Amino acid sequence: MSLNREVINVDCETVFNTLYDAVIVGTGVAGAIVAKELSQQGKRVLILEATVEKDFTLAGFQSYVETFYGAVEKNPNSPYPTNPNVQSPTNYQDYFVEQGPMTLSGSYTRVLGGTTLHWEAKTPRMLREDFKLYKTYGQGLDWPISYDDIEPYYRKAEYELGVCGDVDEQKKLGVEFAPGYVFPMKKLPPSYLDQKVSEKVEGTQVKLYDQDYTIRFSTFPQARNGEPNPDYDHGNGFVPHGVTTVHPVQYGERCQGNANCVPICPVQAKYDARRTLGKAFETGRVHVLYQAVAYKVEHNSENGHVTAIHYKHYKNQNSGEYTIGTARGTLYVLATNAIENARLLLGSELLNTSGMIGRHLMDHPFTLAWALMPEVTGTMRGPLVTSGIGTFRKGKFRRNQSAFAVDIHNDGWGWATGSPKGELEDAVDNKHKYGQELRQTLISRVSRQLLLAFMCELLPEYSNRVTIDPNYKDKLGNYRPVINFNLPDYSRRTLAYTRKVSRVIFERLGAEDFTHYDSRDPAYFVFENEGYVYKGGNHFSGTHIMGTTNKNSVVDTYLRCWDHQNLFLVGAGSMPTIGSSNTTLTIAALSFRVAEEMLRELNSISPNLQPATLPAR
Amino acid sequence: MIDINSPEFEYFLNLSVVLTGFSRFHLQGTGVAHLYFETIRDILGEELFGELLNIFHGLELEKTEQSIFSDRLRSEILASEKFGPITRNIIKVWYMATWYALPLSWRDVFGTKEKDRTFIISPQAYPEGLLWTAIGVNPPGAKGPGYGTWSEPPLVSLNQG
Repeated sequence: MSLNREVINVDCETVFNTLYDAVIVGTGVAGAIVAKELSQQGKRVLILEATVEKDFTLAGFQSYVETFYGAVEKNPNSPYPTNPNVQSPTNYQDYFVEQGPMTLSGSYTRVLGGTTLHWEAKTPRMLREDFKLYKTYGQGLDWPISYDDIEPYYRKAEYELGVCGDVDEQKKLGVEFAPGYVFPMKKLPPSYLDQKVSEKVEGTQVKLYDQDYTIRFSTFPQARNGEPNPDYDHGNGFVPHGVTTVHPVQYGERCQGNANCVPICPVQAKYDARRTLGKAFETGRVHVLYQAVAYKVEHNSENGHVTAIHYKHYKNQNSGEYTIGTARGTLYVLATNAIENARLLLGSELLNTSGMIGRHLMDHPFTLAWALMPEVTGTMRGPLVTSGIGTFRKGKFRRNQSAFAVDIHNDGWGWATGSPKGELEDAVDNKHKYGQELRQTLISRVSRQLLLAFMCELLPEYSNRVTIDPNYKDKLGNYRPVINFNLPDYSRRTLAYTRKVSRVIFERLGAEDFTHYDSRDPAYFVFENEGYVYKGGNHFSGTHIMGTTNKNSVVDTYLRCWDHQNLFLVGAGSMPTIGSSNTTLTIAALSFRVAEEMLRELNSISPNLQPATLPAR
Repeated sequence: MIDINSPEFEYFLNLSVVLTGFSRFHLQGTGVAHLYFETIRDILGEELFGELLNIFHGLELEKTEQSIFSDRLRSEILASEKFGPITRNIIKVWYMATWYALPLSWRDVFGTKEKDRTFIISPQAYPEGLLWTAIGVNPPGAKGPGYGTWSEPPLVSLNQG
């Protein structure tokens, strides 16, 4: 394909002079899917993107990889350019204003394609019971839609993202599929480490509230190019997408095991939203305005309709100078992520009948446990995670404590201790090793590492929230997210319980337990006399939850704002609960559903006889 | 420009072989040996770097038995207040393409060097880090070994020669 950048990239004046069918803020997976679905059906779309345009070409992507190579601290945002006008949170307190009592931390990336650039790409579906947690277990909230309502959209999402996985394994974990369905690609082969762990641990019984649970291992569905499944689509097969740039050589390749899914897959085997954006741009009906940071959603106080989105357009990322511009459309979509959406909504002084904008902030807190295997099992090989334990994703214990999913990390202790960099420093500076002994020490200390990560559900808590405060603004004068966050006992009980599970697993393996929780860590807490540390999961969600009325929610089942009927809030912010599933697949599924609703509405206003092409500048 | 025929570069390679546990062939195969030599000389200055390399060369010339050589390497270089931190840095350069700012205690005694800060020598050097070879893997984010290779047993073992 070839993209005529002149047609796609527009200036403020063109934007001002065009009335779009839809104005979308953000180019992450949610905004990209809505833009693609609408534009492919003939609608004219504007996307406001806060960052600079440089990333859509192979050269742009390679510059990310090179930046990563040259970064001393290889954190989740290390490949991506620092933009003082559009900050991406990386560390505690660098962008978020955390007001406690506990820390949210975590990161996201404000670049073209959003945080799908640095996501890990695990794509488990949510379970049927996750949609009716309150009804089933008296905890959390129920979704206003059921698993059956979202299931067809999960299939669309799995196609769009290019998911590899094994349906039979997922069925055993309680995930339901349409008859005969298979994932677009076959499951990623389990790592050697996975095999060694499961050899000794598979079938282990544990008791939880008088129920027996059997630990079983399975691979994760992932949005990563693998081996296409010839049985997909009733035997029609699947052709993996490359990133949509100009030449085939620039397409994403099959996973090569670069052990670097986060922060960047160097061969673009991992899905990121630029693939979907490419399809949207190809229609010729999408305009993109870069360096445009939305700061105010304007509405008509009589009927609540949104009338414009105002943005600040900066010329240079190193200067806080900007001009102000306005974008108008029939429908509006905020797709900036749960925290940024909340910040923008609150800063716009929109109606807030439920009082829930910014509230019910969720994430998946993780506990980590790490040990040395008795033999060399290999570390830093393959995608970051291939297998895990899905046993604790459902069950009666959810009356008392949260569900959780377990990852076996192929990249060793890095997340917990900074290995292998820390191991090298320790071997050289403290163990005083050099030469052959150094090599042996590294094999012994790194290549036997096992890290288990326990991803726990966090329920929607009214007091966990994003707010704004005029005292905290960024360089462009936009509000920074002010965070109030705590972990209820429902989650703490599970975070603590995971330590019991890891001890059982390490005992079975004869692995030497090195797990240590530092009481000076801002994420340290004590539960029933034992101390733990959790890590943020970067699955920010729940700041504009969907529900059945304008009293109990911010959006309806089509993510339409109750108070502003032509405003759609997409992304994980609309999810009332998140179960033990990484959120992106569900975000994608909901985005397809929203796009259908928007098309119904746009077609009822002005039926599409002939798809219009946007005039070039 | 660096004179690649200068004796110091030879001494640097020989010192690096001893420090890293990798052969001269392997070190030169990384393609970054000259870059490392130049960068380190640039940070430390010709005099200080030359002093270290010449002391090492002296040990080599006087080498009779391996155990005596190893003892002298420890006592005269690795345990030297002046050269210990530098040699440990050289190991880390080879293993992770990273120069670490010298410790404050070193700077207090021997002075601050203008270009002494923690940095990756160059983005192209990162994938050549010996750490990854030592543990039998590709550098994360580069030289991907291929689909499914992660299911096979690892390439390294304990007590390998």
